[in-house]
Parts: sequence; C-alpha cells; structure tokens
Amino acid sequence: VFSKLLPKHPALAVPVASAAGVVLPGCECASVPVANSLIGRGVTPAAAFAFLLSAPAINPIVLTATAVAFPGSPEMVAARLLASLATAAVMGWLWLWLGRADWLRPAVRHTGHQPGHGRWTEFRLGFQHDFLHAGGFLVLGAMAAATFNVAVPRSVLDTFSGSPWLSVLFLAGLAVILAVCSEADAFVAASLTGFSPVARLAFMVVGPMVDLKLIALQAGTFGRAFALRFSSATTVVAVVCSVLIGGGLL
Amino acid sequence: VKRHPQVLLLVLTGVGLLHASLFSDLYLRYVKEGLRPLLIAAGILLLVLGLLGAVLDGKGDDHPGDDHGPDHGHGHGHDHGPDHGHGHDHSTAPRVAWLLFLPALSLLLYAPPALGAYTASRANDKAVKEQKRFESLPAASPVPMTLTDFTARVQQDRERGIKGRTVRMTGFVTPVGQGGGWYLTRIIFTCCAADSQSVKVRMYGTPALPADTWVAVTGTWHPQGVLGTRSAEAALDVRHTQPIAQPVNAYTDDLPLTPS
Repeated sequence: VFSKLLPKHPALAVPVASAAGVVLPGCECASVPVANSLIGRGVTPAAAFAFLLSAPAINPIVLTATAVAFPGSPEMVAARLLASLATAAVMGWLWLWLGRADWLRPAVRHTGHQPGHGRWTEFRLGFQHDFLHAGGFLVLGAMAAATFNVAVPRSVLDTFSGSPWLSVLFLAGLAVILAVCSEADAFVAASLTGFSPVARLAFMVVGPMVDLKLIALQAGTFGRAFALRFSSATTVVAVVCSVLIGGGLL
Repeated sequence: VKRHPQVLLLVLTGVGLLHASLFSDLYLRYVKEGLRPLLIAAGILLLVLGLLGAVLDGKGDDHPGDDHGPDHGHGHGHDHGPDHGHGHDHSTAPRVAWLLFLPALSLLLYAPPALGAYTASRANDKAVKEQKRFESLPAASPVPMTLTDFTARVQQDRERGIKGRTVRMTGFVTPVGQGGGWYLTRIIFTCCAADSQSVKVRMYGTPALPADTWVAVTGTWHPQGVLGTRSAEAALDVRHTQPIAQPVNAYTDDLPLTPS
C-alpha cells in the first residue's frame, strides 16, 4: 500500500514519506524494522529512511507530549515538527545523492520461503529471528545508556549550559547517549531548565533519530557500514536544522 | 546462537514478562501502569512461539537448505544455497541474541529494585509547571498534598494560601550530603524508568531517617525567601514523621491516603 501512495519519482517520494510519519504512532525502536520491511517491499530506500527518521519524531502522541511538557509555548511544538520534518527530508535527499546500495545489508536477513515450509512456519521463524536479533541489540544499547547515566554525574551538565553553541552540541550529544524514548523525551527536555530553548529543541530533534540503542538496532538490521554513516550524517543535519528553525521560531 | 538456546530464550523471556506483569506488580518498577496489557500480550506471544518452536522443530524435519529436492521447487526466485555460508538463515540468530538472557533471567531471579534515593540525588529535578490560579485549600488539617502541588503553591501562589497551614505529604527519604539534612522525595516518570525525574521538598527539624525509607510527614512551610515567589524554598518545618509502607506504584506523586 505504502509504495502505491508514494509518488514515482524518488525525489518527490522523500518529502511525502517524511510527512507520512505523522500517522504512525510508534516510538523509534519500532520504526527500524518497519523501514526495513518497506525496503524489502520495493519502497525506495531514501523514502524509507525519511519515514524511519520522521515517524518517531512527529507522530501525534509525541507532539501532544511536547505540548504538555512545554505548556504555554506552542512554538516549541511547531519548531519540533518543522525541524524533524526538514531533517528527515534532507536525509532522504542526501541518500539519493550520495547513498550507495552496498552499504546496506537488508536482503540477507530474510531468505524468503524455505521450500517445504508453510506460511505459518515462515511467520514463526521470521518472528523468532527478528525478536532475537533486535532484542539483543536493544540490550546492548540499553547497557551503554545505563552505564553513562550512572557513571557521569549530573553536575557535568551544568558546566555546558552557559555557552549557547556548546549547549546545543552538548544536548544533541546527550540525546544520543541517554536514549530516552521519543514519547517521553519532551519531559526530560523540559526539565533541563538551565539550557536555551534552541538547545532543548536540538535534544528533541536528535533524540528520536539517533541514539545508542538505535545505532545498535540499525547496525543489526542494515549493517554497520550503514549505521555509522547514517547516524553521524543525521546528527549533523538534525543539529543544523534545529539551529536554523529554532533560531527563527524560538 | 543455535536452535535450542533460541527456543529457550523465547520461553524464558515470555515467562519473565508474565512473571513481572501478570503474576506480580514487578513491572511497576520499570514502566507505567498503562503498559501492563501490552506486557502480558507480549509475554504470552513469546511463550507460545517458544513452545511451538520446541514442539515443531523437535520433530527433526529441520534441515534448512537440505530439502532442495525437485519436489520442493516452489519457484520463489530464491537460491538458498549461498546464504548458508553466512549463517543469516532463520535457523540461526546472531551472537548478540545471547545478551537477551540477561534481562530474561534477571526478571525471573533477581528483579532490580525500584529507583530510589541514589537516583533522586543525581536525577533532574522535575520542572514544576507554571500555574496562574490556585484553588483555595480544603479546610481539613493537616491538608493532604502532593510534593508537586506543595512546591507550586510555595513558589507561585500569590495569595499565599499555604501560609500557616499544616500539610501532610508522603515520599521517601533522600539524604543531603553528610550534614544530616534530608529531602522528602518522589520519583515520577512519564513512560518508563529511563525518563525519571524527581520532586524534592527539603525537611527541617528532624534528623534524617535511613535513605529510601518511606514516610508520611506533617508540618508547616519553612520560612525562607518570600512566599509566593521563586525565592521561596520548597521546604517544611516537620512536626511529625511516621514510617509507612512503600506504595505499590511508587512512581507517582500521590496524595497521602487517609490522613490520620
């Protein structure tokens, strides 16, 4: 269905796919397998990645949570929506421009039907494989995030809140390391009161798109070569988008 | 990861989830209450699939790739031969799946405790919402209150409705450094324990109980700063403390039950 709704031309499919992220009320871990199966069904990878990035960031649940966490400042919700959409679209186009199919490794995951296996057996084995695969990487990412949470004292946070530029970069990095679920990160951002609104926006734009558990999940699903390039590029694009849009709106 | 450990992992994870969500309230230590149905459903699904796997795969019909006989030519356009060298077939999972044994076993054998004073002493303080109007306080004395409401009233209520009133709050003890001071604390989360934030009210006039003790406290506002403005400290002159049992769902900022 998804591939029928998308415009044929890849460059047009990208913004449509980013906007389509509005309808999937899931958090970021779910969008990795979804994007993978979209690619498996012939959706152009650029559009699938745009969807992967935008879906957890701009769905109604996340936007509502943001509005609740920042009462009286609807511009924060608007800025989050616009900056996330922009990042997703830019990343999709970047993939069209620079992306190479051999960074991806999605095809080897499913070997398709085993002759002699029924549909249900396939479903069961596919489920088992996906669960064990994604679950293992999720544990890995969670262990990294938890270690950071315990090992680094919060007072370190305050030393960065003074400078406007450093604080944006620092909160973007913190979003990567803390790996808070996108449906809850607005509340964490709201509690970082020492930081400028633009820095908090960067936290909320980067968080759903790049973090330790997502990198681990993507590495498991699409391959390490892809995950490293994609995550670092996304971080840069997301920070730039938040600074531009946050600077204008907030 | 070979076949049998895979089945074992599914079953263990499923049983662990059911143990935490269906047969006990353990899940409340990690996620919000509303996620319980999802946890139970996931637990049942994993358990059923694991058991199915144990029964069906045990029949010995499972030689992926060996059954390339002419009678199986479904013509799906896939050549299964080359894939087997890489081990990316359904029948094996990557080694990283072994890590799933950690959470599965810990749920069953040693469930990590709820977050407490250690986390509260280092976590972000929850930003108390701006509030323009405050309902007048009920006439009861002491007035049961949440820590959030107390903080908001002390720092934002221009009418100073809290002045001179005796309030009652519950929470756990978080010591302040070595000085013997302490905070009455609640940890609150929105979705799961990863996004926890704390609400603290400083207690004056009684020595600290051991960290993580749950107490009900009655007292009046400790005058420091100008009441009704940001300069006012959220603090209480304690008249009476009483240890209480830890609430089942500790991650909310609830009113004290029956004020006694």
